[in-house]
Amino acid sequence: MRVGLLTEGGYPYATGEALVWCDRLVRGLDQHEFEIYALSRSAHQEAAGWTGLPAQVRRVRTAALWGAPPARRVGRRQRRRFAEHFAELAAAIASPGAGEPGTGHLADRFANGLHGLAELALDLGGLSAALRSEDAVRLLERACRLPGAAHGAQQARVADLLTVTEALERALRPLSLDWYGPFGLARVDLCHAASGGAAALPGLVAERFFGTPLLVTEYGVRLREHYLADHPAGPADPARSGAPRPTPVRTLLTAFQGRLAAEVYARAALITPGNTHARRWQERCGADPERLRTVYPGMDAARFAEVGEGGERGDGAAGAGDDGRTLVWVGRVEPPKDVVGLLHAFAEVRRRRPDARLRIIETRRADAPVEPAGEEDYPARCRALAAHLFPDEAVNAHTVGDNPVSFERLGEPGAPSLPEAYAAGGVVVLSSVVEGFPVGLVEAMFCGRATVSTDVGAVCEVIGGTGLVVPPRNPRALAEACLALLRDPARRARLGAAARARALELFTIEQNVAAFRGIYLELMSHCPVRREEVGEDGAPLPFALPAEAHIPGRWTAGRDGDGSGHRSADPAPSRGAQEHTPGWAVPVSREALGVGPVANHLTEEGV
Amino acid sequence: MTLPHDPLSDQPTTPTSPGGWNDPSRALITPDDPADAPGSGARAGAGRRRPADPVRELMHRHHDLCARAVDPLEIAAGLEAHGVTDRTAARFRHRDVFGLAEELYARVPRAEESAAAPAPRPARGTWALWPLPGALCAATAWAVLRPDLAPPAPRAAAGAFGTVLVAVALWLCLSRGPLRIAGRGRGGWLADLAGPLCLGWLLGYAACGDWLLTGLVTGERGAYDPARAAGTAVVLALAVAPAAGCARWFALRARRRLTGSRGVGEFATRVRPLFALTALGFLAALAPLVLTARLVLPRPPAGSGPGSVTTVEAAVAALAALLFLARLLAVHGFRGAAVGGLAAACAVEAVVEVTALAARLPGAAPLGEPVARLTAAHGAAVVPAAACAAAALGLLGYACAVLSRASAHGDAPGAPGDGTSRRGPHRADGTHPAPCEAPQ
Repeated sequence: MRVGLLTEGGYPYATGEALVWCDRLVRGLDQHEFEIYALSRSAHQEAAGWTGLPAQVRRVRTAALWGAPPARRVGRRQRRRFAEHFAELAAAIASPGAGEPGTGHLADRFANGLHGLAELALDLGGLSAALRSEDAVRLLERACRLPGAAHGAQQARVADLLTVTEALERALRPLSLDWYGPFGLARVDLCHAASGGAAALPGLVAERFFGTPLLVTEYGVRLREHYLADHPAGPADPARSGAPRPTPVRTLLTAFQGRLAAEVYARAALITPGNTHARRWQERCGADPERLRTVYPGMDAARFAEVGEGGERGDGAAGAGDDGRTLVWVGRVEPPKDVVGLLHAFAEVRRRRPDARLRIIETRRADAPVEPAGEEDYPARCRALAAHLFPDEAVNAHTVGDNPVSFERLGEPGAPSLPEAYAAGGVVVLSSVVEGFPVGLVEAMFCGRATVSTDVGAVCEVIGGTGLVVPPRNPRALAEACLALLRDPARRARLGAAARARALELFTIEQNVAAFRGIYLELMSHCPVRREEVGEDGAPLPFALPAEAHIPGRWTAGRDGDGSGHRSADPAPSRGAQEHTPGWAVPVSREALGVGPVANHLTEEGV
Repeated sequence: MTLPHDPLSDQPTTPTSPGGWNDPSRALITPDDPADAPGSGARAGAGRRRPADPVRELMHRHHDLCARAVDPLEIAAGLEAHGVTDRTAARFRHRDVFGLAEELYARVPRAEESAAAPAPRPARGTWALWPLPGALCAATAWAVLRPDLAPPAPRAAAGAFGTVLVAVALWLCLSRGPLRIAGRGRGGWLADLAGPLCLGWLLGYAACGDWLLTGLVTGERGAYDPARAAGTAVVLALAVAPAAGCARWFALRARRRLTGSRGVGEFATRVRPLFALTALGFLAALAPLVLTARLVLPRPPAGSGPGSVTTVEAAVAALAALLFLARLLAVHGFRGAAVGGLAAACAVEAVVEVTALAARLPGAAPLGEPVARLTAAHGAAVVPAAACAAAALGLLGYACAVLSRASAHGDAPGAPGDGTSRRGPHRADGTHPAPCEAPQ
C-alpha cells in the first residue's frame, strides 16, 4: 500500500526534526511504498540537503513555507468566491469560540472556510496572490470589527492585519501546491502526517477530496510549540529573539492555529501522541479520546544491550562499573536541567556518604556552536559552584587530590560513548525542572541502571515504578532518594533490571514500528479509499466493483455465504420469507468494516 | 584533614568565584523571611508563611505571562515551560494545569497594548551611494565631450571605463536600499523579460531616436550628435539620488501610517497625500538636475536659452519621471503595471517611427504628414516627451490608487513572522514548489 508521509521542516531534510524517527519508520515498514511530501522551513534547511532515502521511498515532493509566494492572477469570479470563503475563515479566527477550540458552530465556519479555500486553490492553481491581496486585508479587518470579535482582535491596526495576512498566506501555502493531482496525493492510500499544523493541511485536503484516511503523529504538540515560540521567556527556544509580536497578531494567529489543530484532530482517522502529555494537550484541543492512541517513540536498544545485559548478570549485587558510590548525570548543562539543584542535592548526599562521587557528563560536543545568549556562562557557573561546594580532596597529605564532582564531556576517555557513560555509575540521576520526553532516562533504563528522577514532563509515565521519582526543585528529596539507592545494592539491581525490562517492552524501535504497521493495516481496512476503477487503457472500468462494495457493513455475512467472503455454490433449497431479504438490506448493527473485494483489491494494487 | 567547607553546617558560605549562583542556590542561602531561623536555609520555602490564597502568589510570579496571554492555553504552555505540572496544579486545587491556567486567565487583567510601536527603520548607510552614478556619469560625459582635453583614443577609453563605473554604481544603488525589488517573479517570466526590453528601447530611443526620426522625416541624414545622448544619461543618472530619497521617504512614512492607522480606509486617505508629495518632490528635484546637466555638458543642445526648458530636456524629464514611477510600482510589488507603463511609451514611440518609415514608401506620403508637421513645429524630441509624459501620467494615476492600499506596503523588511531569511541567498526559484523525484 502507498503511504503519503507529510512532514514540515522534517524528514528528508538533513537538519529536520523527528528525522531519526521518520527514517526508522520508513526503513522498518519496507513492505509499503512511501511518498514523501515535505515542507521546508527555511533556505538554510533546503541548503543543508537531504538524508539518504531507502528504496521504498518512491517519490519526494518538496515545497517551501518561506520566501516570496508564487504569483498567480485571480479573476473576478474567483475573487468573489475567495472573499466568501476567506470571510468565513476570518470570522472564525477573529471571534473567540464558546469555550475551547474545537466545539460548536465556529469550528464549522472555520472548516467551511478552509475547505472552500482548498477547493478554490485546486481550481485556481494557487491562492497566494489572493491571500496577500487588499481584499484579504479588508476582509480580515471587517471580521475584526464584528461585534463578537475578541478584544485583542478589535484592537488590530493595519500593520497587524498585514502581518496576519502574510502569516496566513504562509500557513495556508500547502493548499496552493500541486500535490493533489492524479499522481500526487490522489493515489495515496493513507496520509501520515508527522506533525500537526501545516504538515497536516495536505492530509486534510486529501481527506476531503479523495477520502484518504489521515493519521497524525505528534511527538510535540504543534499548538503548544506555537505558544512557546511567542513566549519570549520560554525556555523551549531561547535563541528566538526580537520584540514580542503585538497582541492582535498573537490573538488572531493563535486562534488560527487552535482552530486548525481542532480541525485536524476532528478529521484525522487516528491520532498517535508520543506520550501522555501530548495526549492531554490533544484532548484539550478537541481530539476525540477514542481516536487517540499513544505510541511511544522508539529508541535504539542495541547500543545499550551490552551494558544492560552486563548489569543483569551481577547476581543481586551491582553490574559493571557500579562501585556503589558514584552518581551519574548525563545531559546538556542547561538551566532547565537544574544542575545547580543537583549539586545542592549532592552536597546533602556527601554529608551522609563522604565517599560519594558525582560524574556530570556533558553530551554536547566540544565543537558545538556558541550557546544562545543568556546561558552562555551556565556551565561555568555550575563548575564554579561545584568547586566552591566541594573542594578538592586527597587520601593523605602526599597524594594529589581531585574533586568529588567531575565534569566530563562525552567522548573523553572517561566516558567514550553513551552506554559507557551510563555504566560509569551505580545510580543515574535526572534533575530537570522542565522536560518533554526524557530520552536520557530511557537510555539509562536500557542500560539497566537504577534511576532517580524529578517528576517533570513524561518522567512518571516513562519510569512507571521502575525507579525513584522526587518532586522537582527539591534537592533534599533528591538526596534522600540517591542515598536510599546507594545504600541498597540489591534494590539497585532489582530496579535496574525492571527498568530495562520495561524499556525493552515499551521504548524500542521494533515496538514503535510494529505499532505503526498495525495502525496502517487497521486504517486500511477500516477506511479504504474508494476510487473509480481504471482499465488497462486508462478508461473507467464499469462494474469493476459490485454495488454491494459501497454498502457499509459485512455484505458477505448471511446465510448464503460462509462468512469469509465466499458464496456458497448453491443456496439452501428452502428459505423462509424473511430470509429472502438480501444481506445488505438488513439493518446494519456492526461497525462499518470495509472488508471484501475493496480492501483486497486495494492491497493488491498498493503493494 | 580539614575541609574549608564544614560538612556539618547547613549553610553554604559566600562564594569566592563570581557567578556561581542562581535562584535556587540563593533561595537555599538567603532566608526569605527574617522570621525564619537563619540556620534553616535549606528548608526555605517549607517554613515560609503561605498566603491564604495560594494562586495569588502564582499570579504575582507569572504576572507578565498571564497579562500578555491571549487565551488560557497560552498560560498553560507557559506554566509548563516553567515546570508547573499537574501535581503542582493539584496544590492549587485544580485538576490539571489547564484548569489552573483558566483561573489565572480569568483573574489577571489583560495588559493594555502600549502605544503603537515605532515602525522599524530600514537600514541606513546606503544613501551615500545614491549620488555616485550621477557624479560618475557627469564626469565621464564631461571628459568625453571635451575635444580639447585629449586625443580621441584616450577619451574613448575613459568613456568606456566611465560607463562600466556608472553601471556598477547603478547596480549598487538599485540592488539594495529603497529601490530594491524584493520579490522576483511576481509578474512571471514575461514581465521579467519585458521589463528590461522596454527599458532598453526607451533608453535607446532617448539616445538616437530623435536623430533617426529627423532623418526619416526630412529625408537627409545629418551627423549624429552624442551630446543629446550624454545629456539624457547624465540627467537619468543624477535622478537616481532623488528617486531613492523619495522612495525611501515614501516607504518610511507609509510604514509609519501603517502602524498608526486603525483601518484600511483610514490608511488610504492618509497615504494618498503622501504619494502626491513624493511624486511632486521628485518632479521638483528634476529641474535642478536638468540645469546641472546643462552646466556639465560643454556644448548645450542647440536652441536652449538660459531660462527656457527645451523640448529635449522636457523629454528627458518625462522619461525620468516615467522610470521613477515604474520603479516605485515594481518595488511595491506591481511589476506588471510598471512594465505596462513602460511598454505603452515604447509603443507610442515605435508607432511614430514606423509611420515615418512607412511614409517613405511610394504613395504613402500622407501617412507621414502629421509626424512631419509635429516635428517641424516642436522638434523631434516632442515625440518621446509626449509618449513618456502620457505613460507617466497613466502610471501616476494607477500608482495613486494602488499604492494607497495597505497590501502594497506589506513586505516590510524585518517584519515579524519568520525568523528565516526572507532574502534567501539560495535559489530564487526555490519559492516555487519544485517537484523532484527521488533516486530509486
